[in-house]
Amino acid sequence: MTTVPDPDAALMLRVKQGDASAFEELVEKYKQPVMNLVYRTLPDATEAEDLAQHVFLQVYKSAHRYEVSAKFTTWLFTIARNLCLNEIRRRSRHPADSLDETYADNDEQPIRQVEDAKTFSPPDTMLHGELEDKIEEALAGLPEKQRTAILMCRGDELSYEDMAKILECSVSATKSLIHRGRETLKQKLKPYLRTGAWKEK
Amino acid sequence: MNESEYQSLLEQSWRRPLTVEEQARLGAWLAARPQAQADAEAELALTQLLGQLPNAPVASNFTSQVMQAVAREQAARARQPSFAETIKRWLKVPAPRLAWALGLVALGWLGIHQHQANVREDMAKGLAVMANVASLSDPSALQDFEAIRRLGTSEDDELFAVLTAK
Repeated sequence: MTTVPDPDAALMLRVKQGDASAFEELVEKYKQPVMNLVYRTLPDATEAEDLAQHVFLQVYKSAHRYEVSAKFTTWLFTIARNLCLNEIRRRSRHPADSLDETYADNDEQPIRQVEDAKTFSPPDTMLHGELEDKIEEALAGLPEKQRTAILMCRGDELSYEDMAKILECSVSATKSLIHRGRETLKQKLKPYLRTGAWKEK
Repeated sequence: MNESEYQSLLEQSWRRPLTVEEQARLGAWLAARPQAQADAEAELALTQLLGQLPNAPVASNFTSQVMQAVAREQAARARQPSFAETIKRWLKVPAPRLAWALGLVALGWLGIHQHQANVREDMAKGLAVMANVASLSDPSALQDFEAIRRLGTSEDDELFAVLTAK
């Protein structure tokens, strides 16, 4: 008998069999981590959301190829990163095109039906004003691999081995990417780290 | 604690807050190495800073939008005709398609015909070249070949003597 220790893998197996509610569960669970990654690659909230939705659609379309041997989060973030890289490449070739044109594969219904309502994290975990801008700016200035590695490293969803698979490099290279990225961030944010501006307000 | 354990602790701190025990170990290590203290503090400060980054804004209807897109995808897949249906449809409009198909067959036939003609022409040219090759000399000219060949070898002194005696 095959055991499925990863609950996400179990959900994906249900998705493979056409269970839409299992897929909905996965979207609900991972929309925030995926958005966090995509948003810091394409810092336009609307475009980032379009791309994040496309990530999940891609997951659904590729569900038949999913193997339980692969950890779901590794697979999901690999798709997310690849789509982000494609988008970066596409933008460098056609800077004026919007994402809507790229992913508008169905003319019958508008793809975007976004409500104004946005959900933000609780205020106690938020940084405000200049410092937040500086961190975002410093992160945006990092090479893509270093930035992705640092963002994935923030949570405990992915092990270093998982991150290495997503970044298509070795575990030691992944740690090195994180280390170098952090060194750059420490240099750029030195005044804030020294003054203790990072401490919770 | 040694240097590698210290690095390992720092790597742990990138992922999660250190436990009280880990913090105590780190503190003891740094107390003995004041030169490393500033760097360790900067590391921990950066980790805290990154940990406080706000989540990206997500529309409240994000999931429902994805599910709508999935439903559209399913509908599109259902609308997509099977291979047999495609062939049936194709055959339902015979006149222009038949003309195209015949045209393609004719082009293919012409291509094959032309290729075969080229191959035959090349073979004829090859045969003509062979026919023009000069014929070999009379085989009687080679009757003493073996004897002459052996003349060149030093072991056959006796034979050489016989031949030269003639």
